[in-house]
Amino acid sequence: MSTDTRRRPVRVNVRLSSIVYHTVLTTVSLVFVLPLLWMIVSSFKTKREIFDSPFALPKTLDFSVWTSAWERGDLGVYAVNSVITTVVSVAGILIFGLLAAYAFSRLKFRFSRWLLLPFLLGLLLPVQSYLTAQSRLLDAFYILDTRWALILPYIGLGLSLAVFLLKGYLDSLPREMFEAARIDGAGDFRLLAQIVLPLMRPGLATVATFSVLSAWNEFLLATLYIQSDDLRTIPVGLLAFTGKYSTDYPTLFAALSIITIPMVGIYVIFHRQVINGITEGSVH
Amino acid sequence: MKPDRVWTPYLLVAPAFLVFAFVVLLPALLNTGLSLVDWSGTNQMVFVGIDNFTRAFRDDIYLTAYRNTFGYIGLTLILEVAVGLIMAGVVTMPGRKTAFYRVAFFVPVMLPMVVIAVLWSFVYSDDIGLINTGLRGAGLDGLAQVWLGNPATALIAVSVVSGWIYAGFYMAIFYAALQRIPTNVLEAAMLDGASPWRIFFSVKVPMIRPMIEIAVLLCVTGAFQSFDLFYVMTNGGPDHATEIVTTYLVEVVFRFNNLGYGAALATIMTVVVLVLGLIFSRIRSKVGGVDVEY
Repeated sequence: MSTDTRRRPVRVNVRLSSIVYHTVLTTVSLVFVLPLLWMIVSSFKTKREIFDSPFALPKTLDFSVWTSAWERGDLGVYAVNSVITTVVSVAGILIFGLLAAYAFSRLKFRFSRWLLLPFLLGLLLPVQSYLTAQSRLLDAFYILDTRWALILPYIGLGLSLAVFLLKGYLDSLPREMFEAARIDGAGDFRLLAQIVLPLMRPGLATVATFSVLSAWNEFLLATLYIQSDDLRTIPVGLLAFTGKYSTDYPTLFAALSIITIPMVGIYVIFHRQVINGITEGSVH
Repeated sequence: MKPDRVWTPYLLVAPAFLVFAFVVLLPALLNTGLSLVDWSGTNQMVFVGIDNFTRAFRDDIYLTAYRNTFGYIGLTLILEVAVGLIMAGVVTMPGRKTAFYRVAFFVPVMLPMVVIAVLWSFVYSDDIGLINTGLRGAGLDGLAQVWLGNPATALIAVSVVSGWIYAGFYMAIFYAALQRIPTNVLEAAMLDGASPWRIFFSVKVPMIRPMIEIAVLLCVTGAFQSFDLFYVMTNGGPDHATEIVTTYLVEVVFRFNNLGYGAALATIMTVVVLVLGLIFSRIRSKVGGVDVEY
């Protein structure tokens, strides 16, 4: 009925609505991007300029404040610590997780349900529910304030999800494939190396993405379990830095930019993988 | 399938199980035990039964922490889930190129929350803050205030940052669900003359209802466990206005060295989170059969 009255102005309407549409979305994008832009721009300004003209562009692009933030803040040390902690944790999660997931998904053995159950429980338990006892336990084994105080809990935290997701992927593979290989005389370790590993690459990539970001960004345990400054990871190190130079705004903004920009860069390149990894890891 | 040797499966499960048992399972069990004692970590442990629990229910700060946590949940349901849903609806309008926006909205999700918390402390800051300088620049000096230092605005201010981070996350999962709706359903609605808004609320939203329920569950249980933003931006202040269960728990255990009491607070919180999770899964299984049609 109403199609006739709509037909004539449709082209103008489409163009107008398109302009309105993209204006609205660009404005919303600005809400997300503006604080980050403000952070970068402010690092090149003086304290006075940040205060007086927050939206103006900097007069010069002087990166010396960045290099001085990097050196004074020991950001290099923190970055190395974050890399070591993240790499070892994620390697542990992927290797241990895949081995266990294969056994739970493909092999029949006694107590398999009882051994799997705790991992599923781990998906539901908040970290805070065992934090107190965990810190005492790590202390009793003299690993508090060492790299292991973060690596072991990160592996334990990540394993629940890894076992659960990888088992799900493995369950969906056809049985016959494994049985045929078994008839050909392949043992479990050969099956793992030659069939499971190549086929599980997408699943492992999802788990890896999620685990890398979780370990890299983790703060609660990192701030409670690490006291030595030379073992601190980036989030805790940055906070210590913030406390030390609390009013040196350009330096602080430079430090924040140094941490943020490489991550955003990597994200822009691998955004599909990152979005998939985070969403699939959260909505399991 | 039978394993090649009897002990192979145990060998495969052992590394994962041992690490998991050491850092999660054993502490979870010990924590329950700790909740029944009075212990500072160094002195003699004293068994006190359920005293820690009765104390918790009379602890005004702890009760305030729950009130704030529920306030925070209410605010984030709007600022994260509802906003994310509307954003997903907008970026899935037919015939629009939106890849850029979808990538941009997700940026905060992958950044360290501490970095965001520090950055937003500056955004809210009284003297150099983006918001206050912006308001003053627009001649609205009266509205400028100490956002994180004012008990009336602090919890809302932190929730806004939480929304800034997670709205893009919920948009992404709703976007994925919306993409799975068969096009013939939407075409049928369009032929019936339904407007895009009508299609969104009467067709798309009901069809992705299972995903919306998962999102609500994630948002509620996630809110209970959030810590970083609060710890960095306000650390529970001013005057406990942003004290949530986790910030109080960490203070009790790691500042007051009250391990038994802290363990009891953690146990209560775990029960609350598990019960909420179970209630939600009950609701989901009850309505589940209706809308798995796509």
